[in-house]
Amino acid sequence: MEIKSKLLLIENKRWVIVSVLLSMLVILPIFILFFSFFSSGKETLFYLFETVLLDYTLNTVYLIFLTSFFALIFGIFPAWVISNYSFKGRSFFDIALYLPLAIPSYIMGFTYIEILSFTGPIQTFVRSNFPSLSNLVNQDYLQIEILGIILGLALYPYVYTASRISFSMIGSNYLNISKNMGLSNFQSFFKVVLPLSRPAIFSGLFLVIMEVLNEYGAVKYFGVNTYTTGIFRSWNSFGDVNGAIQLASILLVVVLIFFLIERLSLKKSRFYYNKNTQLNIRYVSSGIKSFFYWVICLIPFGFGFFIPFIFIFNNSIETFYLADLSKVINLTWNSVSVSSIASLLVIFFALFFLYVERISKSKINFYISNIISLGYALPGAVIALSLMIFFKGSLLVGTFGVLLFAYVIRFLAVGKSPIQSSLEKQPESFDETGKNLGLGPYSLLKKIHLPINKFALISAFIVAFIDILKELPITLILSPFNFDTLATQTYEFAVEEMLPLSSIYSLIIIVLGSLMLLILKNYIDKQINVSKS
Amino acid sequence: MKNIIFLLLIIAFSCSTNKEMVNEVNLYSQRHYAVDELQYKNFTEKTGIKVNVVKSNADELIERLKNEGENSPADLFVTVDAGKLYNARESGVLQKIPSNAINENIRKDILDSDGYWAPITYRARIVVYSNERVGKSDLSTYEDLANPKWKNKLLVRSSSNAYNQALMSSIVANLGVSTTESWAKGLVSNFARDPKGSDRDQVKAIAAGQGDLAIVNSYYIGLLLASEKEEEINAGKSVSIFFPNQGYGERGSHINISALGLTKNSPNKENAIKLIQYLTSEEAQEVYVNNSYEYPANSLVQPSDVVRAWGEFKIDKLNLNALGEYRPEAIKIFDKAGWK
Repeated sequence: MEIKSKLLLIENKRWVIVSVLLSMLVILPIFILFFSFFSSGKETLFYLFETVLLDYTLNTVYLIFLTSFFALIFGIFPAWVISNYSFKGRSFFDIALYLPLAIPSYIMGFTYIEILSFTGPIQTFVRSNFPSLSNLVNQDYLQIEILGIILGLALYPYVYTASRISFSMIGSNYLNISKNMGLSNFQSFFKVVLPLSRPAIFSGLFLVIMEVLNEYGAVKYFGVNTYTTGIFRSWNSFGDVNGAIQLASILLVVVLIFFLIERLSLKKSRFYYNKNTQLNIRYVSSGIKSFFYWVICLIPFGFGFFIPFIFIFNNSIETFYLADLSKVINLTWNSVSVSSIASLLVIFFALFFLYVERISKSKINFYISNIISLGYALPGAVIALSLMIFFKGSLLVGTFGVLLFAYVIRFLAVGKSPIQSSLEKQPESFDETGKNLGLGPYSLLKKIHLPINKFALISAFIVAFIDILKELPITLILSPFNFDTLATQTYEFAVEEMLPLSSIYSLIIIVLGSLMLLILKNYIDKQINVSKS
Repeated sequence: MKNIIFLLLIIAFSCSTNKEMVNEVNLYSQRHYAVDELQYKNFTEKTGIKVNVVKSNADELIERLKNEGENSPADLFVTVDAGKLYNARESGVLQKIPSNAINENIRKDILDSDGYWAPITYRARIVVYSNERVGKSDLSTYEDLANPKWKNKLLVRSSSNAYNQALMSSIVANLGVSTTESWAKGLVSNFARDPKGSDRDQVKAIAAGQGDLAIVNSYYIGLLLASEKEEEINAGKSVSIFFPNQGYGERGSHINISALGLTKNSPNKENAIKLIQYLTSEEAQEVYVNNSYEYPANSLVQPSDVVRAWGEFKIDKLNLNALGEYRPEAIKIFDKAGWK
């Protein structure tokens, strides 16, 4: 009886039903993993548990700690400086700090090791000019700590984006109050701004952690064995797919628990900073202070983008005569078209689920819209695996349909995040007014929510596009015949230890990604301004 | 809303496979080298048969074959590891290749005794040593690498790497589990650093003085010597290649093959056989040696000049299926010995 009356209370039932059905489509392949957890032998799983898994897990925790630490440092401080101070180069950095996102993290790893290696430019230069110092730079750079820094550089933009928006919206009211209470700038940053921005920073950090969890290319190269190494040890070394699935399911459960804790804790602290309408005052600074701010921004940009970019750019010029231009064009077209279509699908699904959650206010949809994010924590290869099993015996694997489907599962979380934060900012009264005017759910979406969340939708498209442009394992495993992308070609050269030949392809990924990020920046600014006016 | 759903449906269904008969052959390939594209292009020009390729990791492709079952469009499964072909065969996704499909001049000692795959090239996993710090006469066998005299001198990449796994499998097959276990422990205690990086990085680490000898695949030395960068060529020149286990009565150096397996449900079997015939022929084998540093499977063809300069060597005549059969044991030995 109770359940029945609860069901009756749900608004817009038809939408809820469609959303449940659609979510099945997205979630089922992942749930297939859980089913096989119970149905198959666990020999490899137990073996790994008894031998290496503890070690792998500790490495994972340590790597997450390192990466998060650097991502927070590289993300938060520049975001604070840019949101609050005016200094030379500010407007440049405001754009440039997003750019590392355009570089695939394993390419960042390979590139840095090449730069630092015995035959790389730095050591070569030191050997020929300062022979006495050559022992100092001749080190083994393939260390977990270096990997943590590199991943921090590659991933800090997630933290930066979230903090940048949040810091700008906190505005000066809070700061004025804290100043009146006698806190210094420094103190108010740590005592007022950071706690207020905790939910935003955490959501950015969450993406960083998920990326570290499913990272495989760079960790393998660095010889760092993480939990994901365990998944592939079962699959690629023991040839035991079920063991891999079981390990992935355990990972999923752990991530799900953390995810729900985060969502629930966010629910409590939401809207703290919502109603501040006053524009930030940027403190004009000069001299040493200005230089200090400049350095804070230069470090993440310089190491996270400029240096690897110049190195890759230089390599592409040197190997340009070897490049097959028609192939370059063909692969660029493949990458751009498949990323565009997949990103459209991602924002369609993300918006749909979030919107139904909003209009139905049902618990079911709260869980649905969280569970659909889980794909992001899984290595792409595992998602591909779940789809191969899902479509067992059919002709569908190897079609673009399944490839796109896999991208959607993997990247829904990425597209969801900007749409979610934008939707949450729209007051309920909009919906109420719409209803009173006689708008149904569809018209409400079309006439009110699509236009007012337009920038968020475009942002979501762009972040999904960049991620799919860089995507590797899903594309390799589920690819149709003769379908190569910039990412797969980059990987093929890089893994055969021919990094210079890969550079023209990685360069195009980086340039395309950077262009998209410039557009994104434009929209983020608009979002910041919209929420202030 | 309806329009969007309609659009999605169109996208989903317009992508289903095209079943009309075309003159083609479909490959699931772990190989992704420029020379392969060249070979397929030549084959198409000669026969008019189009070659379609999906390139991915071997285990993922086996999984795709398994799940596609009878509907799989693939004709040939191409790998760089006999162990993966063994796994594919064990999973039931391969069929025997008719004996007349493989060129008669392919070396008999690298053929599959059961006839499930056709080798096209092979490579050796060997030792490179610092010209400065190691004398050739100090080197002898893989077994000797566990000798304490190499303490803190040996470099090798991680045990996640399939080349190392194949090497370890060959040693288990030759020496048995317990001997291999103590060998592996000795080897690990000789490591100059934790296993990491690529094969090329091991050679660079010798040049940098971080270790004196390394276990690598021979063709990476060829790649270093052909580099555009002077420093890399210097690194390549600072080491020499040593083929282990060449002494009288010793078993020879460990090799692994690139090979083609014929899939169980191959829809274009005739074309697949034509491609096997072509790729094992002298003509195509010449193309392999001229565009890579691998050894040709066809005994009438000579390796490239760079490779020939390393000298001839005796290969380990182990049945190459053992590289798959003993793989699980090999992995356990890695873990037990602490080879990361």
